[in-house]
Amino acid sequence: MSVTDLKDRHAAAADTVNNLRHRLKQKRLSLLDTDICEYAKSQGRAPVTFGPTDLVCCRTLQGHTGKVYSLDWTSEKSQIVSASQDGRLIVWNALTRQKIHAIKLPCAWVMTCAFSPTGQSVACGGLDSVCSIFNLNSPTDKDGNLPVSRMLSGHKGYVSSCQYVPDEDTHLITGSGDQTCVLWDITTGLKTSVFGGEFQSGHTADVLSISINGSNSRMFVSGSCDATARLWDTRVASRAVRTFHGHEGDVNAIKFFPDGNRFGTGSDDGTCRLFDIRTGHELQVYYRQHSDNDIPPVTSIAFSVSGRLLFAGYTNGDCYVWDTLLAKVVLDLGSLQDSHEDRISCLGLSADGSALCTGSWDTNLKIWAFGGHRRTT
Amino acid sequence: MATPTLRSSSVPSLPPPSPKSPPEYPDLYGKRREAARVHMLEREITFLEEELKSVEGLQPASRCCEEIADYVMANSDPLLPSTKKNRRSCRFWKWLCGMPCFNLSWICCCCCCCEGLSLQLKLPRCCCDCKPCSCSCSCLPSINCSLPKWRCCCSCPKSQCCKESCGLGNCCTFPSSCNFGCPTCPSCPSCCSCKCTCTCSCPSCPKVSSCCCCTKSCWRPCCLCC
Repeated sequence: MSVTDLKDRHAAAADTVNNLRHRLKQKRLSLLDTDICEYAKSQGRAPVTFGPTDLVCCRTLQGHTGKVYSLDWTSEKSQIVSASQDGRLIVWNALTRQKIHAIKLPCAWVMTCAFSPTGQSVACGGLDSVCSIFNLNSPTDKDGNLPVSRMLSGHKGYVSSCQYVPDEDTHLITGSGDQTCVLWDITTGLKTSVFGGEFQSGHTADVLSISINGSNSRMFVSGSCDATARLWDTRVASRAVRTFHGHEGDVNAIKFFPDGNRFGTGSDDGTCRLFDIRTGHELQVYYRQHSDNDIPPVTSIAFSVSGRLLFAGYTNGDCYVWDTLLAKVVLDLGSLQDSHEDRISCLGLSADGSALCTGSWDTNLKIWAFGGHRRTT
Repeated sequence: MATPTLRSSSVPSLPPPSPKSPPEYPDLYGKRREAARVHMLEREITFLEEELKSVEGLQPASRCCEEIADYVMANSDPLLPSTKKNRRSCRFWKWLCGMPCFNLSWICCCCCCCEGLSLQLKLPRCCCDCKPCSCSCSCLPSINCSLPKWRCCCSCPKSQCCKESCGLGNCCTFPSSCNFGCPTCPSCPSCCSCKCTCTCSCPSCPKVSSCCCCTKSCWRPCCLCC
């Protein structure tokens, strides 16, 4: 077949793809008979209301000398690991603000960190394209530094995100600027599966965020600069289970909803969205119009344990608390006393859901918890 | 029998044959690339056709919304103001927000609990030990006594403690102008200089070949420090 024939075939195939995508979009629109907000209003749901002292900053964790880029809580103890532009990971006791470990990294340009399910090790990755594992029980070297216990090498681009597979200290998933996600066997340091990439159907731009389903750890979702989110089954690496369209910019943040059947996203287009993994429906868009027409991108999101609250950090320092059912901003942590002084780059909820930790470019982390009275009947 | 000898020839003998790989086919017109693109599109067509068929039997969004609302209302949430019945005000048992308890640490050390709240709010009977730099309570193995410890563990030996200045040594501190991100196209002004004898150069962006990238996705640092 000549090149001219191939080009004609390419044009015809591209037309067919566009036509099918249009038909799919129309069909999906016809199934969107309502969104969560309209449904909740029709059921007479009352919005969440916070008093002035209901959610307060309980602790400020100071110690980093550079922007905080990522944080993660342990599953059991109240410990947090944070990663910063200063080239360090710090493991904090969130209750006491004590620093349990300050780990100097082989590459200072770290972008992500994660705690293992048992809390025995931490992982981090960044511009070196490597995911480094540190065993927190290892003896330090002669310089007092914790040595790297395993390096997961193989990505051809930066490591933007990483998460341990729940209940498994031996496996974790990374997202990368090389447009792929990888499931790693930490014991061997080898790739178990590669999701996407040159010869497989996957993201067509950098992967920026991942989230593993807490109810079914074989499923995970990824967010990308190609403005889509994709659902993956770790048993089938050749193609995504489903692709979720809707956002109009990079999908910077992605997190599963607590029930495991939905997930939320945060994007450069300034919106957060909620998608259903079984149907592919976009169930809600969380967007607040600003008076100055400024649309700050969303950097990070987290759901409260019931799913009623969606926390979203923005590049302008706002940290909105959304009522997920009524799609209303019920609180802005960025406007409270003791709030951060710069962009909120990361946030996460403690395992028991009683506290939220935010990390910021102002080099600090802050713990927020319920500080009000619980009303009695 | 004598071995026949070959007559010497004026034509030089050819070198013995040696197997060689065939010359690489020059993809001068991008034929292979084009074929790969067509293959990807045709695979995408298959996926889209499958998805179109599967959409036929999907439940409407209202059903999903109902499931979400039911789930949310059925699960309690420690961050939500709720209407649970409690025996007493739990203000100073809130998750690390009990500043009034700081002054009444002996009360904080009393065993007290509030029903319906997280286990972490239940404080032990005894106060913590103030071991040098361990700053952890030994009252109960899995619970740290935060408020009393605040008072007694404030003077951990610096050399052993993971404080702000501990362990950082003489690492590089970056001037505030050293940020992630690429300079604006097309010119590439010189970047900041790092204190640790590092040199800066404008990086080439992996995505855009002709000029520096301005988007967040170009994660090359402005300064590369040794």
